[in-house]
Amino acid sequence: MATSAAAPASSSRPALSLPPSQFARLQPHAYLLAHLSPPSTNNQPSIRANGRAPTQFRVTSANAGSLTHTNGSAVVRIGDTAAVCGVRAELLHTEDIASWSVSQATSSNKSPRSADQTEELGEQDDNETIERERAHIEDLNLLVPNLSLSTGCAPGFIPGSAPSSLAQSLSHQILSLLHSTRLVRADDLRIWYQPPSMGPEELERHNDEEQMDVDTAQNDPVEESPREIKAFWVLYIDIMIISLAGNAFDAAWAAVLAALRDTKLPKAWWDVDNETVVCSDSISDARKLSLRGLPVASSFAVFEADAAAGWRAAVIPEAAEMKAQRLARKGGVSERWLLADPDGYEEGLTQERACVVVDKDTDGKVIILKMEKNGGWTIDTEDLQQLVDLSSQRWEEMKRILDEC
Amino acid sequence: MSEEAKLSHTLVVSDLSAKQRMWGPRSTKNRESFFHDAAGPYASPSSLRTTSKTDTRSPSRQSNSGQRKPTTWLSFPLEFSFSTTMVGPTASLSNLSRADGSASFKCPTTGYKILGSVNAPVELPGRRDALKPEEATVEVFIKPGNTTAGVGERYAEGIIRTMLQKLILGRERGFPRRGVVITLAIVGGGAIARGDSYLTLLPSLLHTSLLALLSGAVPMSMTYSAALMAVSKSNVIVSNPTLVEAKAASSLHVLAFSSKGHLLLNESQGRFDFDTWKTVQQRAHALCRGVELPEVDGDIAMEAQGDSGTAEGFVRETVEDHLCRDYAWKINTE
Amino acid sequence: MTADRRRVNGPPSGTRPAVFTADLQSGASATDRAQRQRQPSELRKIFLKTGLIPTASGSSYLEFEPSASLAAARANPKSLIPPSSALKLACTVHGPKPLPRSAAFSPNIVLTTHVKYAPFAARQRKGHIRDSGERDLGVHLETALRGAIIAERWPKSGLDITVTILEAEDDRWWGSAPDSHDASWGMMNVLAGCITAASAAIVDAHIDCLDLVAGGVAALVADESGNSATGTTKLMLDTDPAEHRSILSACVVGYMPARDEITELWLKGDSSKASLEEGDDRSGHDALIDGAVDAARGAHTVLAEAVRESLLRNVGQP
Repeated sequence: MATSAAAPASSSRPALSLPPSQFARLQPHAYLLAHLSPPSTNNQPSIRANGRAPTQFRVTSANAGSLTHTNGSAVVRIGDTAAVCGVRAELLHTEDIASWSVSQATSSNKSPRSADQTEELGEQDDNETIERERAHIEDLNLLVPNLSLSTGCAPGFIPGSAPSSLAQSLSHQILSLLHSTRLVRADDLRIWYQPPSMGPEELERHNDEEQMDVDTAQNDPVEESPREIKAFWVLYIDIMIISLAGNAFDAAWAAVLAALRDTKLPKAWWDVDNETVVCSDSISDARKLSLRGLPVASSFAVFEADAAAGWRAAVIPEAAEMKAQRLARKGGVSERWLLADPDGYEEGLTQERACVVVDKDTDGKVIILKMEKNGGWTIDTEDLQQLVDLSSQRWEEMKRILDEC
Repeated sequence: MSEEAKLSHTLVVSDLSAKQRMWGPRSTKNRESFFHDAAGPYASPSSLRTTSKTDTRSPSRQSNSGQRKPTTWLSFPLEFSFSTTMVGPTASLSNLSRADGSASFKCPTTGYKILGSVNAPVELPGRRDALKPEEATVEVFIKPGNTTAGVGERYAEGIIRTMLQKLILGRERGFPRRGVVITLAIVGGGAIARGDSYLTLLPSLLHTSLLALLSGAVPMSMTYSAALMAVSKSNVIVSNPTLVEAKAASSLHVLAFSSKGHLLLNESQGRFDFDTWKTVQQRAHALCRGVELPEVDGDIAMEAQGDSGTAEGFVRETVEDHLCRDYAWKINTE
Repeated sequence: MTADRRRVNGPPSGTRPAVFTADLQSGASATDRAQRQRQPSELRKIFLKTGLIPTASGSSYLEFEPSASLAAARANPKSLIPPSSALKLACTVHGPKPLPRSAAFSPNIVLTTHVKYAPFAARQRKGHIRDSGERDLGVHLETALRGAIIAERWPKSGLDITVTILEAEDDRWWGSAPDSHDASWGMMNVLAGCITAASAAIVDAHIDCLDLVAGGVAALVADESGNSATGTTKLMLDTDPAEHRSILSACVVGYMPARDEITELWLKGDSSKASLEEGDDRSGHDALIDGAVDAARGAHTVLAEAVRESLLRNVGQP
C-alpha cells in the first residue's frame, strides 16, 4: 500500500531525495538543525523535530495509588518516558541498630513535642532539629531509593545484568536530592513509645539518657517517663523506568514525588507483650506523609548549530568575546538552542545539559534547590536565569498535575 | 583492569623518575602540546613561560604558592568570610612512572588527597562495541580509599566524564577508537557518606584530573579551574569551606571555569535564590581566575590578583615547576 | 549478606515487614475472606494494549480485572491489607538484532527471556536480583514462545523479551496459614499473563509467528459448598488463588488455537485423586488441561483484538 502510493511522487523528485524519517536517521544533526532554523524566507517559528517549541515540555500525566501492594505508588508519563514508583515501608527496630544506644547518648534527645512545634512554625528549624533529622534519616538509611532501567525500557540496557552506570547515578541523584531537600520529615518515620510509670530499677537504666535531655530535665522524671523511639519506618522507594525516551531524571523524580505524596503509613505502636511493633490495618488510623514543599525538576539540553565547533577550532573564543558575538547576532540566526525536556533523539545530539530543581514558598517566591550545568560552555549566567524562570513556570504546571492525580 | 594495576604498583615511585622519562621519545614529543591555549598550539618548550624562572626553585615553594590576599568586596550585598586556614593546596606531577600521566593533589581545607593517573590514548579491547569511530572515549574511575566504589562514585564519575569529554580533543590523531582512561584514587581525607552530594570532593577530583591530563600530554582545548563555595545559614559566603562548614551550610556550590572564562560546570544544591548564586559565581570566578566578572550592568572589572592567588595560577605554576625540572638541562645550557 | 555496591542500600541490620494486628488474631473472620464471585468457567477481563513503549520494537501492557473483593476494597477502602491483587505487567521485545560479537553462530533466532518482579510487586518485598522463581518463569516463557516463532527467518539474530511484573498474584489468601496444599499458585497466573502479553509484543515487533500463543490457567479446587468430608473437587478456570481455600492442583498452558497445539504445559499439585463432578469421567489431569486450554481460548480473543489494533496503528508507517 505504502510503496504504491509513494511511487508516483518519487518519480518527480531527484533520485537521491529521502523521506523525512530516513533523513532523520542518516543526518540527525542536520535534520534537527533544519527544523530549528527554518529559512528566513518563510516566517516559520523555530520548532523542534518533535513539533515542540524549544522551551516547551512534553505532555505530562501522573496517576497515583494504582498498585495494590505498596504504601504509595505513582505512574508518571512525560511524553514517551514512563516511570513507575512504588513506596514500601518496613520497620527498623532500634534494638536492631548496632550503634543506637551510643548515638542516642551523644545526640541531644529533645522531647518530640517541641520538635513538632518548631516544624509547625514553618521552615525556621533550628540547627539542632536539622542535625537530628539528618542523624536519623541519613545516618540510619531510612530512605532507600533505587532506580531500575533493566526493564527493557530502551535497547542497550541488558535485562538481568547489574544496574548500568546511568541507573546507579540516577539512584544516587534521587537519594541525594531527597536528603538535600529534606522532603520527608524524620518525625513521620519515628515510632515512639511512652512507657508507663516505671519501677526504680528501670528508671536507673534510663537515667543516663535523661541527663542528656535538656527539655525534660525540669520535669519530674518519676511522674513522666521519657518517650523513646522504638522503631523507624524505612521507605523503600523503587522506580522502574518502563519506557525511556529521554529525560529519565525528571520522570523518575516526579514519580517519586507523586508516590511519596500518596504514601500512607499505618498507625504503629510498640506492643509490650510481644516486644515488637504492631500496626493497625485500619485506613482511618493511617497517616499520610507530610512532605516539605514540592520540589520539581526540569532538565534542559543545549543544541549547538555547529556540533564540531568544540574540537575543530584550535582556539575557542574567550567567554566575553562569545557573549559579545551573541549579542551582536541577536535577532539574527541563533547558534545554539536551549531545549526543554529533551527526548531521546535530542539527547543523542546534545552534550551540554542543565537541570534545575525549584520549589516555591507560600508567598510564591522561587527557591532553587539544585542547579546543575555540565558538558559544555555555552550556557552562561543569563541563560541560567532563563532556565530558572522556565523551571518555575514548569513548577506551576507540575503542581497542577500532581494535585489532580 | 590494567590501569588499576599500574596505579597500585607504582605508588612508591618518586618524582625523580620523571628525569628518566624525559629522554623517552614519546614524552619529549608530546609535551609540546601542553597548554594548547596558553602558548598557542604546539608551541616549542622554550616558548612556554619558563625563561623568567630559575631552576633553583625547590618543590617546597608549592606549599605557599596558593596564598591569597584577602580583598574587600564592597560592591556585594552579601557578607564574605574567608576560611581561617590560608594554606594553599599542594600538588605534584608524574608521581607514577608507568602511567602516561599522573598527579597528586591535596586540598588543605577539606583534607582530601587524590592520586590520579591518565592513560591515553589506550586501547580498550573489552569495550570494542562502545568505542566511537570518530573520537576518543573518556573513561573516569573513582576509587574511594577505604571501600569499593558505589553508586555515589558512579555519579561523580559521570560529572567528570561529561565535563572532560567536551574539553579533551578526542579527534586528534591517534585518539579516535581509543580510550582516555582517568583513574582517581582518594588516598586521604574523610569517608564519604551514603547519599552524599560529592560536592566537597569534586574540585579536588577535577584539579587532579586536569594535572594528570597535562602530565600525560593529552590535548585539550582549554584548561579549567574549580572552586567549592558554601553559603551559610546567615547568608555568608564561605569560599573553600571546610567539611564542617560545608555540612552546616544552607547551600553548596561547585563551579568550574575554563581558562577563557566560560562557566564549564555548575553543581549547586541546598536552598538558595538566583541572586545568591550570581554572587557566588562572581566570587568563585575571582577565586579561580583572579579577575572579577563584570557586574551585571557591566562597569566594574576588578584588577587581576596575579596568578599566584588563584586556582588557575596554581595549576599553571605546578606545571611550570615540573617543566623547569624536566627541562633543567636545556634551560641551564641556554 | 554483603551490601550491593551498585545499589542504594537500606539499613545494614535489615528491616522487618509491618505486622498488622489482624495478622496476629489467628483465624480472621471468614466473612472477610475473598470469595470467588465468578462462575467456574467465567474468566476475568483482560486489558491488553500494545505499543505503549515506543523505544522498543514491540511492547505490550497487560492487566487483569481486579477480583470482586479487591474492587470492593478499592471502592470503599477500610483496611490497609488488600484482599487480593490483580496482575499487571509490561512486556518489551527488542530485536531482531545482531548477536553480540562473542556469541557463537546460530542459524536461528536466539530467544532470550527475562521475567522480573518489581520489588513492590508482591506482598513480600522482592529482591533486586532475580530469584529462582523468576528464572523459572523465564525458562517457561521461553519454552512457550520458542515453538511459535519462525526462528529460521532470522539467522545470526537475537530477540530479547523482557517482562516486568508490577503487580503479581497472591499464592493464597493473606490470612490463611501456609499448609500442605501450598505451592506458588500465583506464579502460574503470572506465567499465563506473561505468555499472552509476550505474544502480543512479538506481533507488535513484526516477528513472524505460526500462531498467537495464549496462556490459560485452570485449577482443581476443593469444593467449599459441599459439606461431605471426602470433598469433591471442582474445575475452575482462571483461578485467583486468594479466593480459594485450597487448590489441589493447577495447570497452565501456552496454546495455539489455530493449530490446536500446546507449546507449554506446566502442572502442579496432585490431580490423580481428584473426583470430578458426576458424569465427568475424565481423569484429573485431562480435565485440568482441557480447562486450561479453554481459558487460553478465552485469552486468545483478547489477544487477537490487541494484535488487530497493533496492525491498524502500524499500517500507515513504513
